[in-house]
Amino acid sequence: MGQRSLLFAGSGSPLRSISPFLEMGAYEALWSKPGATFKRLAESFKENADALPSDLVEEKTARETGERVMGHLRERGVVRFGIRVHGDAEYPDRLRDAAYPVELLYFQGAWDFVESPSVAVVGTRQPSPEGVLRTKSLVKQLVKDDWTIVSGLAAGIDTVAHTTALEVGGRTIAVLGTPLSESYPKGNLALQADIARRFVVISQVPVQRYGQQIWKQNRTFFPERNVTMSALTKATIIVEASDTSGTLVQARAALKQGRKLFILDSCFRNPAIKWPADFEKKGAVRVDKYEQIRDALASSSN
Amino acid sequence: MPSLLRRIDELLRPDHWYLEPSDLGFFLREYTKGGGYQASETNQLILNLKKSPSLRGTSQWKYKGIAIRRCANELKSALAKYLDGWTIVPIPPSKARDDPEYDDRLCQVGQILCAETSARFCELIVQRTTTPADHLQDSARRTPDLIAANYWIDEALAAPEPTHVWIIDDVLTTGAHFKAVQQVLLQRFPVAKVCGVFIARRAPLPDEPPVNG
Repeated sequence: MGQRSLLFAGSGSPLRSISPFLEMGAYEALWSKPGATFKRLAESFKENADALPSDLVEEKTARETGERVMGHLRERGVVRFGIRVHGDAEYPDRLRDAAYPVELLYFQGAWDFVESPSVAVVGTRQPSPEGVLRTKSLVKQLVKDDWTIVSGLAAGIDTVAHTTALEVGGRTIAVLGTPLSESYPKGNLALQADIARRFVVISQVPVQRYGQQIWKQNRTFFPERNVTMSALTKATIIVEASDTSGTLVQARAALKQGRKLFILDSCFRNPAIKWPADFEKKGAVRVDKYEQIRDALASSSN
Repeated sequence: MPSLLRRIDELLRPDHWYLEPSDLGFFLREYTKGGGYQASETNQLILNLKKSPSLRGTSQWKYKGIAIRRCANELKSALAKYLDGWTIVPIPPSKARDDPEYDDRLCQVGQILCAETSARFCELIVQRTTTPADHLQDSARRTPDLIAANYWIDEALAAPEPTHVWIIDDVLTTGAHFKAVQQVLLQRFPVAKVCGVFIARRAPLPDEPPVNG
């Protein structure tokens, strides 16, 4: 369909190729259909093996949607951005470990950093003072060992993880729960821009759908990006989280995807929560010294 | 699944400002201009491919050969049926044959690409004099017209007349060299279909100013 038939269809089968603009429009159009979810989209790509988003959408619809989305992003100051589609050479195969893998991602910055060895450092939006100090110390040691720090740009632990990595000259990647054109919390707008300029910011959130929904519906994009964050990284480290924290979505995803899950010992010593013990039973590693993380990562073939 | 070629379309064309909407340009890989993670697969592949001929005889040289074969094989698998009957024309190297820095990497890629197909590898465009490599000077000044003025058709290779041409290059930046080769080819063979295929395109960082023109 579309672009792919442009090239000398008369000489046999058309050259199958990806037009990033068309794929973006098609992905956004799929997301604008009623009832679209990551689960439904993933299922439809499973049924249509090797299909590109543009194989499932009329070309006219894809183009019109693509124009709208590009216009919106430009209006919001997102002029330079890229996309990754399942099937292009830089789409990370490890994303397929997610239960419902994303077919398309937006990014701003240097995608190359996605290939650097990385771990996710995540946790509550309302950390204790000790939690903040633990995050800083952990990130400094990870950076020293040449790990890229991946987090979700949320308030609290995520923000401390990103800013500490930047302060000590490390690499950091933000996986957003919003489209590239938004920042959440708003106070992290400058941090998001800084990470995009120096490293890379990633979003799987459909721009058009996000704009058509109210914030309550858009909230679901936050835990969903945690699944992708886990799939992108070799391990997830949880510094501090409550029993109802969205961070636990990432903990579950990490174990399901065969990634290492580290939980700081301090979480186990908090009598108010029970999730650390539950996850330890399922395979998470309880750590009270950084060296345990270093050794486990060194022996990991993931 | 094996990687598909990507097309330079309306999303990417502003990064390669000499390309026009009617140009058919494809690429396999993408890396970031002036930065990125140097150990990334694409960065490594391009760095190895572009290793200077002055390293011939050193332990590093073998990596250039490996990169040449890998690029050729990736292109071969991506172009598949779009090779038979096509003419493969490399962008001429920036150095003349008698220059110690003469690098025939693209010719080697092209020859492997055409092996066991009916595609014809052809150094149809020849450069009159050695020019400074693009990264050593202000590439924005190197317009297609300026580059084309230094190119000529090797008439000894002009028959059979090419009807479908892939211009091949390693990295697509402004698109000036592609447009220059395309211009010279179309002047001589006005009815030929002339497309471009690049091993990688260089993507800019988000805060680089957009270029008009």
